[in-house]
Amino acid sequence: MEAVCLDTHPHILLAEDDDALRELLDFALTRAGYLVSCCTNGLELMEKLAAGDVYDLVISDLRMPALTGLEVLESQLDNPQRPPFICMTAFGDRQTHDIARRFGAAITIDKPFDLDEMIELAHVTSLRNQPQARPLRSRV
Amino acid sequence: MRLTLKIAITVLLGVALIFSVYSYYSIQRERQLLKKNLSREARHLGESLRFMVAEIWEQRGADEAIGFLSRANQGYEQVLVRWVWIDGEPPPKFQPRVPVDQLDDLLEEETVALLAGSPDGRDFLLTYLPLLTIGGRIGAIELSESMDEMHDYVQESLRRSAMVVGAMVVSSLLLVGGLGSFWINKPMRRLRDQAERIGTGDFETSLNLSGTDELAELADTIERMRGQLAEAREAEQTANTAKLETLEKLRHTERLATLGKLSAGIAHELGTPLNVIAGRAKLIGSAGLEPEDITRSAKIVGEQADRMTGIIRQLLSFARRGEARKQQVELNAVLRGVLPLLEPSTRERRIELKLTESAQPLNVNADPGQLQQVLLNLALNGIQAMPEGGILELICSTPAGIEVPDKIVDEGQLWCCLQVRDQGSGIDPEDLSHIFDPFFTTKEIGQGTGLGLSIAYGIIEEHEGWISVESTLGEGSCFSVYLPHSSHGAET
Repeated sequence: MEAVCLDTHPHILLAEDDDALRELLDFALTRAGYLVSCCTNGLELMEKLAAGDVYDLVISDLRMPALTGLEVLESQLDNPQRPPFICMTAFGDRQTHDIARRFGAAITIDKPFDLDEMIELAHVTSLRNQPQARPLRSRV
Repeated sequence: MRLTLKIAITVLLGVALIFSVYSYYSIQRERQLLKKNLSREARHLGESLRFMVAEIWEQRGADEAIGFLSRANQGYEQVLVRWVWIDGEPPPKFQPRVPVDQLDDLLEEETVALLAGSPDGRDFLLTYLPLLTIGGRIGAIELSESMDEMHDYVQESLRRSAMVVGAMVVSSLLLVGGLGSFWINKPMRRLRDQAERIGTGDFETSLNLSGTDELAELADTIERMRGQLAEAREAEQTANTAKLETLEKLRHTERLATLGKLSAGIAHELGTPLNVIAGRAKLIGSAGLEPEDITRSAKIVGEQADRMTGIIRQLLSFARRGEARKQQVELNAVLRGVLPLLEPSTRERRIELKLTESAQPLNVNADPGQLQQVLLNLALNGIQAMPEGGILELICSTPAGIEVPDKIVDEGQLWCCLQVRDQGSGIDPEDLSHIFDPFFTTKEIGQGTGLGLSIAYGIIEEHEGWISVESTLGEGSCFSVYLPHSSHGAET
């Protein structure tokens, strides 16, 4: 069953240092039919990206300990297999948005955001945007 | 007036000296002339007498001739005529008034004229005319003439010269006094008054000295200086006003910057829990959520709300400053309270926060908001000093052997110490004595107003404590805040 899930569900890598928010997103995205891997800081995110697993989407906070989301984003600039990035920021000034876009972020979203909006964005941005949500939801 | 007098006296002394030298030489010349005249007269007289004496000597003998000379004295009042013997051993009656060796020329049959003094101090002009007597013995007619008359004349000349010099001195002094007062003293007094006025800061009154002399030039110069000083003062005032305006703007900028930082802080600190609350609410509202998930979500909403409340409390205590509202405060708690406020900045710069609490709770009587502000200021400075990251240490302790500054009243109480230690660039020794001065900053323009440390210093001073700093360039700085321990700590 696990193997099937890996194959059929789009895989999201989630990086957020705030425990409560990470747990919420993990729960909501899993419920929406995604396979979610979590990390709590930028370094971990970088390591997971470098480990070779294929992800359909990365959702990352911009301000994190060890390495910021922007730095991770920048490091992925020359990676051709790079998954799309959705960046979350509490400092939603224009400059941060611009930098994130320049570093290749698909979308930058300001906190606080609507949970449904985030799931919708994940659908739009994810490489495999047809997750089999129904069976999972019915399972929950 | 003193300068005028000095110049006048110097000039007068010079003039008097020249006049005296001139008088001296004039008198000497006149005296020479007089002597020559007298001498010539005496010689003429002597020659006539010699001729007659020779005749008488030849016809009637020596006694008759010498007797003739004695009688001749009665005819001349000023001139005394005598017969003297030059050679042999004459009796005192026929001895010359001067020693014979001065009269060698007589042996050559030449007339001798010389000046000699008598024992009572009077001068005489002596003229000797030689006469070879029939017996072959050499004698001479001695004519002695008193020089008293000449002396009187010289005295008179001297007196006149002295009178002229005296009159000159007196009249010159009067003239110099009068004219000096008019030409020098009055304008000098005006110049001095003007200089004093300028010295006291009065640049309004103008000074106009008529004329073209040096004092008028000086007055012109002073006038120009007054103008320049007035301009300089005006420029300085303008600059001061501009500086005050700039400072006001800077303070405004500081307020805006604080507001900006605060807003960013609020956005970051409140944004995340808000996000969680909104998301959880949505989850609860959605269909098909299992009961335990609903319960868990509700619990998380509550927790996040508490978290937000805590943040808002902290913000309020930070904002509520001004007059110190002192209360019993535990320093370790204050230190812990600062950490969450620093986290955004430390995370951004990859700085590790290290907290060392004291073993015992340390109570002080202080305003917690202000104390927090001080620590924030010191910590943010430390963070700014470490752009490459590092460790920021916050230490709470009761160190022993503290050097209490002179201005602090030390009653042997226990001192509590809060230290903020960074591994940053350090402070230049030259700047170290200025860092608590208001508006002193080494940061670039717009990066800081230089108020933070001075505010911190003021706050701690108000709490009867002090801040000290140790710093090594390239290694880091350590700020120590000392506060008196509160003995009523047990109550809290």
